[in-house]
Amino acid sequence: MTSVASATPAAGRPASLPLQLAGGWEVGILVFMAALYGVGVFINPGFFGSTDAISSVLRDTARYGVMAVGMTFVIVNKELDLSVGSILGLVATVFSILYAPSHLDLGAGWATFGAVLTGLTIGLINGVLVTRLKVPAFIATLTMLFIGRGFVLGLTGGKTVAYERKAAADGWFFGWGETNAFGFNSQILIFAVVALLGALALAKTRMGFETYAVGDNEQAASYAGIPTRWVRMRAYLLSALGATLAGLMIVAQDKGITSQYGGGAELVVIAAVIVGGASIAGGRGRVVGACLGAALVVLIDKVLREGIPITREIDVGGIKMEVQAYAQLPPGAVPAFLGLILLGAVLIEPWAIKGGGAARVWALLRRRAAPPAADRGEAAIVGAQTRGAGSDARGVGATGLRAFLARRDAAAILLTVGLWLVGLWLRPDFWGSLDNSFNLLLAFTEIALVSVGLTFVLANADVDLSVGSVLALSGAIAAFLMKELGADPAVAVLCALAGGTLCGVVNGLLTVRFGLPAFVATLGTFYIARGLGAWLVAGRQLSGFSESFNLMGRNLFEVLAWAGAAPSSGLMLAVAKAVSVQTIFLGVVALVAGVVLARTVWGQMIYAVGGNERAARYAGIDTRAVRFWSLVFSALCASAAGVIYVAYYRSFNPSAGQLRELDGIAAVIIGGGSIFGGFGSVLGSLAGAAAITLIRSLLSLQLILADGSSFVMPQHWMNVFIGLVLIGAVVGDIWIRQENILARLVRRRSGVS
Amino acid sequence: MAPVIEMRGIQKHFGAVHALRDVNFTLGPGEILGLVGDNSAGKSTLMKVMTGAYARDGGDVLVDGAPTQFRSPQESRDRGIEMIYQDFALCGNMDVGQNIFLGRWPRRFGLFVDRPRMYAEANAVLKRLKVDVNSVFQKVESLSGGRQQSVAIARAISFNPRVVIFDEPTANLSVMATERLLETMAELKRQGVAQVIISHRLTDIFEVGDRVMVLKRGENVGDRYVKHTTEREVLELIVSGAPETALTADEALAKAA
Repeated sequence: MTSVASATPAAGRPASLPLQLAGGWEVGILVFMAALYGVGVFINPGFFGSTDAISSVLRDTARYGVMAVGMTFVIVNKELDLSVGSILGLVATVFSILYAPSHLDLGAGWATFGAVLTGLTIGLINGVLVTRLKVPAFIATLTMLFIGRGFVLGLTGGKTVAYERKAAADGWFFGWGETNAFGFNSQILIFAVVALLGALALAKTRMGFETYAVGDNEQAASYAGIPTRWVRMRAYLLSALGATLAGLMIVAQDKGITSQYGGGAELVVIAAVIVGGASIAGGRGRVVGACLGAALVVLIDKVLREGIPITREIDVGGIKMEVQAYAQLPPGAVPAFLGLILLGAVLIEPWAIKGGGAARVWALLRRRAAPPAADRGEAAIVGAQTRGAGSDARGVGATGLRAFLARRDAAAILLTVGLWLVGLWLRPDFWGSLDNSFNLLLAFTEIALVSVGLTFVLANADVDLSVGSVLALSGAIAAFLMKELGADPAVAVLCALAGGTLCGVVNGLLTVRFGLPAFVATLGTFYIARGLGAWLVAGRQLSGFSESFNLMGRNLFEVLAWAGAAPSSGLMLAVAKAVSVQTIFLGVVALVAGVVLARTVWGQMIYAVGGNERAARYAGIDTRAVRFWSLVFSALCASAAGVIYVAYYRSFNPSAGQLRELDGIAAVIIGGGSIFGGFGSVLGSLAGAAAITLIRSLLSLQLILADGSSFVMPQHWMNVFIGLVLIGAVVGDIWIRQENILARLVRRRSGVS
Repeated sequence: MAPVIEMRGIQKHFGAVHALRDVNFTLGPGEILGLVGDNSAGKSTLMKVMTGAYARDGGDVLVDGAPTQFRSPQESRDRGIEMIYQDFALCGNMDVGQNIFLGRWPRRFGLFVDRPRMYAEANAVLKRLKVDVNSVFQKVESLSGGRQQSVAIARAISFNPRVVIFDEPTANLSVMATERLLETMAELKRQGVAQVIISHRLTDIFEVGDRVMVLKRGENVGDRYVKHTTEREVLELIVSGAPETALTADEALAKAA
């Protein structure tokens, strides 16, 4: 089953071998691409009509294609590498830092060496995290994505690095980014070689066969003596190698970098591989398909980014003038479409092919009886094991400190207290002050709100990667409605909440109705929601909203003053100044959510679904409804945080809520949740959110050194630390809480001696 | 005695595979029936047809003589038919009490879980079953396989079922745990619960069973009273039985007499 047995069986008749060998799917992509190029020529003949366009599409395809070849190995393995864009950026950055005369000024050879080393190191870390430390692939590589981005920003300081003059002397390296003697860009040559090698390796060698076996049934593969961990590790190394090569190709071409390089590349690459016929469920996919997919996605990207030439009529002093202009998508909006493509491509497999959706549509068209929907195996007798391995037995019968340490939220509470004390130790003059405490509380609200929603989702054994983007979309809707349409604040808030919640509905439908893994569905909305938000505000910062709206982000004193009932003195004044509207809102939401999760039947259902979905289904629980509403609730919390964000800052920035998904997931896991579901409490998540807030605020604390000078850690490095915290939390949860491996190691040690 | 459950002429197809062919089945009140046969003989399929997990293509399922059309295991549960799955289908992250009442936790004020009542009733069920699970507050994932099975059985018993189906109950158990399980089954029989054991291990069925029914390639090849047969005879049926020569337990008894 290595080939793409897709298009023809879906139509309900047996696939004929020759067509399959010819690659029916690949032919389909080519036809679609030709049609799309026709559309491009039609809407923008100035650009797509020229041969430059073809060579520029091919040149960009070369880089994404090289990455797609590596990614194919990862996806066929039933895994995902979200870090490729980051690796590309970091490799390009390391090369530039080493090579640029303004920085280390080494030779191109040394720079290349350093760059390759960097790329392979990240691949190795990905592989170790996933195969050795058993961290789910999406969470490990997503964290590496943000850590990598953090390094790029930290190393470049957000600035551009260029070295065009020095590059002229190193033609042997930089020539690879140029047009060669045959009249085409040499990157295309590199791509062709890599694609050929990759295709041969995957389709014709043992290495490829091992990959398919591991992707389809890892247990069977491991019984058959295949070193499955090495096979998976190897895929991550190949993927990192592809991204490294792409990074070197881009510096060879541009002879300089900006800190934005590689942003969102993972989206294009994953979409490319899946459009090319690979399955997110593993065991299926071809290098040829992935390369064609890359060309297709790059083409779509180009068509979207190139504007449509329009003629606008303007009136200058009574004289009508026709002006040539371009109707273009605002920056940041393109990912919305790429996210849609990703979700569409992912849905092809489970819905159209396995679910028989296409066959049913086809039968309907021919007016025949539709074939029955595939048996979902609702009550198959074999299935998942009762999970877990004795992590909570420790708590039984323990008293005092031991009982506390056995609590799943112990880490969060200890961490919160410890971090606060560290802050007090570093800045005794400032940390304990009311000012700082209120600021901490305000920063806490956003993270805590998102965490409360995520607690439900993670307890269900799902995940919501889209919370940060939903926050941005909701904020954008509110800002857009008030600023551009002059809407009433109440209407704006309602629309913002509705828009954000709609994202949750989409997440929920994709997850429970179409059976996508939650991380894939929410990864799609992660890009779509942020793209839509950026589109709404046209990538600009909006501010200047009515003060009645901004009151939602103020403290009680200002609210009362606005209402003309400000307390003048005494305790009331202190309380009113200390407590803000958002804190009260958070308190109410957290209280309700906490009671629902801990005390009601609905909460029990959530834990049951997260612990063993099949068992819950047998017990008559509507597991789909439970998972659906949790995802909706998470989106609702995120959109409420978005509205508060706008009110608090009195403005909206399209980068609002970036990294909030990491903060939220880390908070829930530190607070006792598990990435595998079934655990977590609202109280624990609040403690976890407090810990994250404190980490963030400690990292931006201005330190006063012994010699009187002060030091602030550059903001650029923040991502790196937050990423490390998340990975630490996930690994700690898996290795200490779930498996209790540390205790077992200690026991074995003492047993031997 | 009138059978609790009777199935007549059951047919089931999976695409081109004819999984069950005109299968008949009866289960008397308080009877322990062993359902045996090779792999792919249709044992599990037959039980899933009975509980409504699979829709049948033909034949009748009668409970207390009345025809039924179960569309899901929940509907058959309402009529007192419980199934205990091979992997127990429990939530490891929840405690024993919560698992016994999985999906039907007692309510207070319509919304909240009535914890005191839940744990009190869970204790009562465990007592009735005479199994030793230390505490109803213990997380299921920290229990051994045998104890987890006890929880699964306790859960089934708490519905006050008339029929319990065990799917390969001894497959994952130690010898000790198997002994305990067989005691539990005998206890259930004393309480008048009819039981079906799907098993490969004839020894277990011969220890507690009343009757053994053999399926082969989706067809009846006969059934026997445990008291009047031998493991050897049942093995012969499994290996070389044929539907044409199938005898019911009563026919076999009459023939032997």
